[in-house]
Amino acid sequence: MTDPIDRAGIILCLISLATLILIPAVGSNYLVDVTTEILIYSLFALSLNVIIGYSGNVSFGHAAYFAIGGYTNAILLTTYAWPLVASLLASITVTMFITGIVAYFCTRLTDIYFAMLTLAFSMLVWAIAFKWRSVTGGDDGFVGITIPEILDQRINFYYFTVLVVVFSTWILWLICHSAFARSLLAVRENPTRAGFVGINTRLMRWWAFVVAGTFAGLAGALFAMLHRGMYVESAFWTQSATVLIMTLLGGMFSFFGPAIGAATLFLLERITNEYTEYWPTVLGLILIVILLFLPDGLVGLVTKIRNYWTREH
Amino acid sequence: MRHRLLVSLVIAGTLLAINNLHAEEIKIGMLYPITGGGAIYGSPAQIGHRMGVEEINLDGGLLGLQAISVERDTKLNPATAAAAAKEMITKDGVHVLIGGLSSSVGLAVSEVARQEKVIYIATIAKTIQMTTNKRHNYVFRTASHTDFEGDAMAQIAEKLNAKSICDIQLDYAYGHDLAAGIEKGLARHLPDTKIVLSLRPKLRATDYNVFITQIMGAGCDVVTGGLWGPHFVDFAKQATPFGLFQQIKFIAGGEIGSHEIASTMGRDYPDNVWANSYELWYHHPNEEHKKFHSKLSAQLGTHETTMWPVLAVIGVRMYAAAVKQAGSLDPDLVAEALRGMSIDTPVGPRTIDPTTHQTDTGQFWGPMVKKEGAPYRVMDPITYIPALLSE
Repeated sequence: MTDPIDRAGIILCLISLATLILIPAVGSNYLVDVTTEILIYSLFALSLNVIIGYSGNVSFGHAAYFAIGGYTNAILLTTYAWPLVASLLASITVTMFITGIVAYFCTRLTDIYFAMLTLAFSMLVWAIAFKWRSVTGGDDGFVGITIPEILDQRINFYYFTVLVVVFSTWILWLICHSAFARSLLAVRENPTRAGFVGINTRLMRWWAFVVAGTFAGLAGALFAMLHRGMYVESAFWTQSATVLIMTLLGGMFSFFGPAIGAATLFLLERITNEYTEYWPTVLGLILIVILLFLPDGLVGLVTKIRNYWTREH
Repeated sequence: MRHRLLVSLVIAGTLLAINNLHAEEIKIGMLYPITGGGAIYGSPAQIGHRMGVEEINLDGGLLGLQAISVERDTKLNPATAAAAAKEMITKDGVHVLIGGLSSSVGLAVSEVARQEKVIYIATIAKTIQMTTNKRHNYVFRTASHTDFEGDAMAQIAEKLNAKSICDIQLDYAYGHDLAAGIEKGLARHLPDTKIVLSLRPKLRATDYNVFITQIMGAGCDVVTGGLWGPHFVDFAKQATPFGLFQQIKFIAGGEIGSHEIASTMGRDYPDNVWANSYELWYHHPNEEHKKFHSKLSAQLGTHETTMWPVLAVIGVRMYAAAVKQAGSLDPDLVAEALRGMSIDTPVGPRTIDPTTHQTDTGQFWGPMVKKEGAPYRVMDPITYIPALLSE
């Protein structure tokens, strides 16, 4: 998981980047919108994987930080008319600060107790967003977010999202391939032994939580700008479940797995909804297939096929 | 030779133009919840939407083009609705967005309509913001709104000679807006009457015992409430054993007089309730309603029909009328035509205010009574309270 990227990986990354740059040239607004949303969800899923894949804890409340970032950006841009850079930086800082406080309590617990506490905190965020109507718009949502004129153009906003998501992914890559990540993996595999060799396991998990929450906040900030609105549903537990499924689908033991899962699940939902109203049933089936047959997700499946192919030839 | 080539080119061009004309359709986008909790309202609205589109085609189409319905499930989620609306515009190329059940979905779709410069007609969402501080060039509403509803409730309170009122509203956008609408209405119609108790049970609440005892101890002679759908059903079932409805009159907004609620509650529907509905299958305000009811009844396979389809039909008809008047699908020209547009509907004529983009949609109000031969409680006498904020 912490292996450096190989040559084929670098080529794949460059092809992906070139594809992202060329997408607006196709001339389809729909394609641009879909790709923008996929990029945002990819960042959201990649951030969650720092907690799940690297520190080995399951969070049922990751949507809270997505919503905090989104609402902060919405309020600062629209209510206080802050410039974009200041608003984005403030959104990241606010999310980081709140995540730090939540992480302080959550990392005192492990396993199911950790998961339940993350859920409890996320529902608290949801309740605040719901009740604080004068600031968040409550159930009506915070609609009509003002964004700089230059980003009001679809293509410009797309390239802005590509820039932010690619840069954030690079930062996450560096974090996930650092000594810190190796310590986290040690904590994930055997916390007792990691403690014996001098790793402050709780501090490591706290940092992982903060990193994950911060990048989720950034994804939320982009989401709010894309939709020119932020809604309480984005903080609800179902949103946390969706990003968790994205991570599992792509593969939590791979750095890019969650991004692949996000793209796959997003596209599957769009396509399914065009033909049938039974998306929840399809989602349930996907979850069953992952849990029973694809514990390492789509990336794990590809690896298995590649290994099989290599052995046969 | 050159002449023959020219003729061939003209013929080919004409054929291509005819072919393109036939290939092009008017795409009427529909956004209702058709799965999950909102489906009990969204699915009947979907039927109404399809009836509206069918009407257009039976009438020969619009501008010589056939209309088709492009449909998406909003799941009652504003982010989902906004994404679906964008997809319908950029991928399917819809010419108009119609629908939206909850206030949050209505506002989210309206924001997309503003960005993409596509007409949006809100057929059910009641939030006052849509036609006030969040209004824009492309949003129009054919549903009622909370100020109209609140004013009508104040008029009923005046009829009932209310001296002191207890107000119970759900703790979310619609509840807050309706409470404000009632206060404004009382200031117009009953300035001396006071609201002595304001209660805010949470959305999706099921236990109302604490609120019931508070109301009974507050000494009010009328209760005003916007407990829609299952909220009222639960409230009434819990309040009846306390004798609340025997002691205090209840003015219920949120379409508690509709078929859905009356038929669901059956014998449990309490006394002394004055309720509202957009449409009642047993009340024909005009000849067209009889035909509409027969058609809907045949589609649903039941004699008693729900009120949601008529709201969807009105939205589609309003758009069709505007396109005819504009003679174009250009959103700016259609928006111009919609301002001040009047149409006939199965529940009476409807006109859009050219300034606010709000339709003068009133509602039927009356006491819910037991009646010989009726399958459940019905409204009698029925009064249409028009959408006027009268002094």
